[in-house]
Amino acid sequence: MATPMQIADHTRPRLARGVRLQTDSATGKGVLLYPEGILELNETGRDILGRCNGATIGEVARQLAQEYDVDLATIAADVRAALGDLERRKLIEFT
Amino acid sequence: MKPPRPYALLAEITYQCPLHCPYCSNPTAVASAVLSGKSQTFDLTTEEWKRVIHEAAQLGVLQIGFSGGEPLARRDLAELISAARAANLYTNLITSGVGLHESRTRELRAAGLDSVQLSFQADGVDLADEIAGARAHASKLAAARQIREAGIPLSLNFVIHRRNIDRLAGMLQLAEDVGAARVELANAQFYGWAFLNRAALLPTREQVTRAREIATAAKARLAGKIDIYYVLPDYYEARPKPCLNGWGQRYFTVNPLGDVLPCPTASSAIPEMRFENVRERSLDWIWHESESFNRFRGTEWMPEPCRSCPEREIDFGGCRCQAALLTANAANTDPVCTLSANRALIDAVLADINVDENSWTYRTAPIHFEAATAPV
Repeated sequence: MATPMQIADHTRPRLARGVRLQTDSATGKGVLLYPEGILELNETGRDILGRCNGATIGEVARQLAQEYDVDLATIAADVRAALGDLERRKLIEFT
Repeated sequence: MKPPRPYALLAEITYQCPLHCPYCSNPTAVASAVLSGKSQTFDLTTEEWKRVIHEAAQLGVLQIGFSGGEPLARRDLAELISAARAANLYTNLITSGVGLHESRTRELRAAGLDSVQLSFQADGVDLADEIAGARAHASKLAAARQIREAGIPLSLNFVIHRRNIDRLAGMLQLAEDVGAARVELANAQFYGWAFLNRAALLPTREQVTRAREIATAAKARLAGKIDIYYVLPDYYEARPKPCLNGWGQRYFTVNPLGDVLPCPTASSAIPEMRFENVRERSLDWIWHESESFNRFRGTEWMPEPCRSCPEREIDFGGCRCQAALLTANAANTDPVCTLSANRALIDAVLADINVDENSWTYRTAPIHFEAATAPV
């Protein structure tokens, strides 16, 4: 377990075993499905998790900064905070 | 107000079970509006379950739990799991583990099974098999290995009661030993067989206090390794549980006969309520329009003290089944609540615990009888 600032740029986040990311057809929003639980994602959360397929945290942040046209440092902090939280809940793993 | 959409379906696909646990939440007897007195052949067919799964997904359901009885008793389980995955549902198997051999585990994994909740009765074979009324513990340990080797996330479920609550530390060790990601230590809830056997199952206050300390310490010690859920017996609480997060809000159950229930224990606890059947109505109609799903939705139905209570949207008045079983009126405030006029009923039960009362009735398959409302 790491605090958000300790998560290195080259860390590769991925969904933990047994966790699925999909679209909730009732709302069109992203959801994480896992044993005995459902987490409804906001748009940023979904965009972050949708990129956790082998990319590093640094790459995810750069892609989002470009797409949203926002400051890299700000989005990188958001990405770290979101992924750090999900890692503590064992919904994603850092490799 | 438009009803919300449901998130999860509990599919009780059979009442058959090789275990005889005296706290089983299954009904001791079942009736159905479309049952005409014979047994077994009235269970939903494979095709009917597939239709239920498809309709559930259309309604917004995201998770399905295959339960029973013992769901492995149905040979078409893999086919139903495939159907659920095809409908984009997250699939949980809630099982005793008896019969989960290597080839079956592989078959279910290939069908797309996402996760398994495996029940244990205790931490050691002698006590566990005595509680189950069957030689099952060794098979469960083998099943845990199969599940882990197949790479499926594993949760352990222990139902806690007076005869095993002092073994919590051993149960947590067992969960560590088999590599569980999650363990649920849930005190027996008193419905179905557990209600019948309450005198032998209800733990003492001292036992509950000690168990909570052990669970709290284990939560801290195993944080990040195993998620631990400890559920107190609600008779010892001052406020009722937020049962189902509100009636007809997030969950529903379809039982082996196709009856659609807001709560798995509702059919036996609230016998005067008529539940709809998937052979007669669509799930969409049942969820949105039926009397049974609308009866206790929201807060309009509430009597005092719930109606004006600032906590009415926190616990939703508690459990309708518990109100029905203990006060003979499902619309009453859950008697667990210390604000309920009926709290004395709970206190009397707690004051009357006799630790020498150890005999219980083992669970058998429910007796089928013809419902009075059955169409002729």
